[in-house]
Amino acid sequence: MKSNRIILVATSLVLAGAGATVGGYFGLSAHERLRSGRPDLGFISCNHCHQSSLATLPWAKPRPHHDAPGGIVVSPDGKTLFIALDDMDEVAEADVTSLTVTRRVKVPGGPFGLALDASGQRLFVACPHQDRVAVLDTRDLKEQASIEVGVRPTAVAYCQTPSGERLIVPNSCSDDISVLSVSPLSELVRQAAGREPYAVAVSGDGRRVYVANRMAVHDKLMSPPASEVTVLDPANGRVLDREQLHSAHLAEGITQVPTRGWMLNSLVRVRNLVPITQVKDGWVMSTGLAISQEDGEVTQIPLDEANAYFSDPSGVVASPDGKRAYVASGGADVVTILDLDRLAAWLTQADAGARSDAILDMALSFRYVTARIPTGCNPKHLTLSPDGRRLFVAERLDDCVLVVDTTSLKPIGRIVLGDGGRNDPIRQGERVFTRAKYTFQGQFACRSCHPDGHVDGLSYDFDGSGVGDNLLDNRSLCGVAGTAPFKWNGKNPTLQFQCGPRFARVLMRTDPIPPAQLDELATFIEHLPPTRTIPWSRVGQPLTPVEERGRKLFYATQQTDGTPIPQALQCQTCHRPPLFTDRLLRSVGTQEVRDPKGLFDTPHLIGIGSSAPYLHDGRAKTLEEIWTTYQKDDKHGVSSYWSKEQLNDLVEYLKTL
Amino acid sequence: MSTQTTPSVRTIAGIVLVFSLLPGTGSSARAATTPAETTALPIPVVTRFENFGEKDGLPSHKVHSVLKTKDGKLWLGTNNGLCVREPEGKFHCYGTKDGLSHPTVLWMAEDPGTGDLWLATMQGLSRFSGGQFTVFTQTNSGLPNNVVYGVAVIDGTVWAATAGGTGAYHLKTKSWKIYDQNNTVMEEPWCYSIAAGDGVVYLGVWAGGIVEHDPKTGSFKAYRDPDGDFQFQLTPDSGPVVDVTSGVAYDDGILWQSTYFGLSRYDTKEATWRTWVQDKTPLVSNFINTVFARGRVAWLATDRGASVTDGTSWVNYIVDENGRGVVRIYRPGQEPETRTMTTALANGFVTAIWADDHEAWFATSNGLSHGVFAAPTNSPTVASNP
Repeated sequence: MKSNRIILVATSLVLAGAGATVGGYFGLSAHERLRSGRPDLGFISCNHCHQSSLATLPWAKPRPHHDAPGGIVVSPDGKTLFIALDDMDEVAEADVTSLTVTRRVKVPGGPFGLALDASGQRLFVACPHQDRVAVLDTRDLKEQASIEVGVRPTAVAYCQTPSGERLIVPNSCSDDISVLSVSPLSELVRQAAGREPYAVAVSGDGRRVYVANRMAVHDKLMSPPASEVTVLDPANGRVLDREQLHSAHLAEGITQVPTRGWMLNSLVRVRNLVPITQVKDGWVMSTGLAISQEDGEVTQIPLDEANAYFSDPSGVVASPDGKRAYVASGGADVVTILDLDRLAAWLTQADAGARSDAILDMALSFRYVTARIPTGCNPKHLTLSPDGRRLFVAERLDDCVLVVDTTSLKPIGRIVLGDGGRNDPIRQGERVFTRAKYTFQGQFACRSCHPDGHVDGLSYDFDGSGVGDNLLDNRSLCGVAGTAPFKWNGKNPTLQFQCGPRFARVLMRTDPIPPAQLDELATFIEHLPPTRTIPWSRVGQPLTPVEERGRKLFYATQQTDGTPIPQALQCQTCHRPPLFTDRLLRSVGTQEVRDPKGLFDTPHLIGIGSSAPYLHDGRAKTLEEIWTTYQKDDKHGVSSYWSKEQLNDLVEYLKTL
Repeated sequence: MSTQTTPSVRTIAGIVLVFSLLPGTGSSARAATTPAETTALPIPVVTRFENFGEKDGLPSHKVHSVLKTKDGKLWLGTNNGLCVREPEGKFHCYGTKDGLSHPTVLWMAEDPGTGDLWLATMQGLSRFSGGQFTVFTQTNSGLPNNVVYGVAVIDGTVWAATAGGTGAYHLKTKSWKIYDQNNTVMEEPWCYSIAAGDGVVYLGVWAGGIVEHDPKTGSFKAYRDPDGDFQFQLTPDSGPVVDVTSGVAYDDGILWQSTYFGLSRYDTKEATWRTWVQDKTPLVSNFINTVFARGRVAWLATDRGASVTDGTSWVNYIVDENGRGVVRIYRPGQEPETRTMTTALANGFVTAIWADDHEAWFATSNGLSHGVFAAPTNSPTVASNP
């Protein structure tokens, strides 16, 4: 009797549990369909929409910091090297003779770009994490002054002009250039630049300053992009020229060549409008230099060889006699050496057509590339001693500065800054991220399309068949943790899957990244924090009235006249906070003839203000264009009732996310 | 309608009309009762015109705007592109193929900080910087409307007067604000003109008078025609002549309003208004396209020629039925004096004027005119208010 009762109770519990499970399944599915407005939706986990707080995400947690060298500069007497350590909030001073670090000082704000005045008494430090330029006295390395500039300054150049001393500061995230007077320290002009101004160099006569803009932009969909070299008069900040580097991006190194009147600009020649499967035919990326001559002519020349690529050229420096140039290739762990006499001779005899096509001729580089020096991981910034006899190479992911004798081209030794973070999986993943060896003949690395983990502003042809055109907008990896699935079609459930064997075989045309490295790569990507798009001075501040109005519009459940907005069409439904995505596929009326399907992964919006262009194929150049130009029948939210002021309010709010 | 913010007084006082440079004194016009050689005028006087048209390289006969930038370059906004006059006198032109948002350039302003040129066009706002154009439209940016009538750069903000309100683009934050009938005192959204005052911004609003905006406090104040009638001036000298503003210009404490029904002047220090309509005053025409202010002098671009005045003395330049240039001078308390000139404005329909202490440039519906001034013969003095 007792056992029967137990069996009865157990059976009842099992049935009740099963009923609750089945009921819960259907109930939750109905809830999901109702709330998402997706009647076709199958069962999904609750956390698709009900996400945990941002504080639980990998990028929000403390992580190890490393002594990665950023900008480097040598004192006028050649005895001292100053090294920016952005990840440590420090500037280091090293003795060039003993190759030892002599002092390290705290400089808050992620010091990255460095410049010295003519006497070497003042060190100017661009601090991108706090949007400022600090002035240090090199005698005691104490901070003497500081000034706010644009968003994320990455470099600083010092020059003397007839109007006084000037600092030129490219602000990479606000797309402008601060022109500062030194005495008193003040901002004279903030001049509009291209997209992501990154590096700066002063002409030999001090009358022109050249700013390299790292990102390319394209005029319209399916048109080749171009990046800009912004040329200014440092005395007054006036723009003298905007040189266009056609089909070039990642132009992040620039230097002037003494005695020749040249500017050399490292670049990546990108062919984003050709299916990326053509990598084996040399059709995705190659590296080069742009030579800007005094007469304004710009010639792009290759650095690669027919079957060997030296990806992600970054730092570039020329010898004081103007006879030699050095280029660091961050993806190939190499410094390339160019004989500028031979290059000049080729330029002299080449006609206009030959100069125009030079960048396409991989066999050309043997005429002027004389050597390649292996380096540690991810060489970035370069500098030379004043006499040109020593080359300093910042090996960013090895926490070292390599010192090379330029006569013998042999390494002399290294200034060791840290242990390289060998036990840190995030750092190991960053190494995978920056290395080009995982692509066919080392054409490019993950970083080549995702500088600093962000976007390069381009749309790429990802047509799997290798023909046709199927542009997909490049999406930022910053703040991507927790936003799975990935890809615009939402097919990849994990980063490992996204970057795994299929990706390698189909697109990289090479062996897959080994599983251990793949895990490290995913770890690195998950720890990339969102990009800050607002000025540092605004961080933590309440929304402005304009932004607050935009926020209310974002969360609006009814139109201005009280008409209810269907739940499925409210901004917050698909772009649900805190990640501002529900991680579901959506149709927002953007399917075009090139698109096999109209459903696209809902992108997260964190850092959206700096990741233009927008929509799945990058057709919208600005946030405004999403609704003013590409909105169809209120399918991408209900925008038909918005006034222009309301749209502007919404855009200002989105830029704060 | 001026975008100049130079605060200094540049009154061209004491310039004497040198009639030796003006043959034709025996024309049908009546002789002056007082010899002009002995009478100083507190306003500049043009002695001859040099004209330029399509034969000289202009891409259109119609010139909408003219501006000389700080670097000495002369810029023209035409019906068919933007032009700059090269040092040797040739015109180099830019069009939509170069990136200009629309061929019709209605107004231009120089950013005094960066030297960039901002262009109001019939389809968007363009920035010309370092030889390249950047286009702002109502679809790719926060610009209120694509029809941009006027533009000014004031303290790091680009102000664009459009058919859908005034847009203010903050150059550092790259954010837009829209000022229209929804959030200001203006009753209509059609804004035609912007002028920088002393710490304030003046918006010339079509059918809305003048709106004064203080960016620091965010306040707005409207100056409206007291009688509200644009056909009859029932209350002269008590406010804007009418509410139909075609242009505003400001310098040295004086705000000028051009309309299609007369001219107004507001002395911001004295808080006094003065108005002029044709027939009753020396104003050459009620139909004033734009106004340019320099010091306490206004240059008026009208459908019947150009006027220059400090509110007391006037010099009008018209083109008679035979195509001859005629200058008419009004001195306070004296009979007007009329002379023919050996040269004339390129066309009597003047759309815009730019002037400094040495020369004036006139945009007309049939070419560009360069006005050469008479040489000053005595030391400058500051013109007094009437």
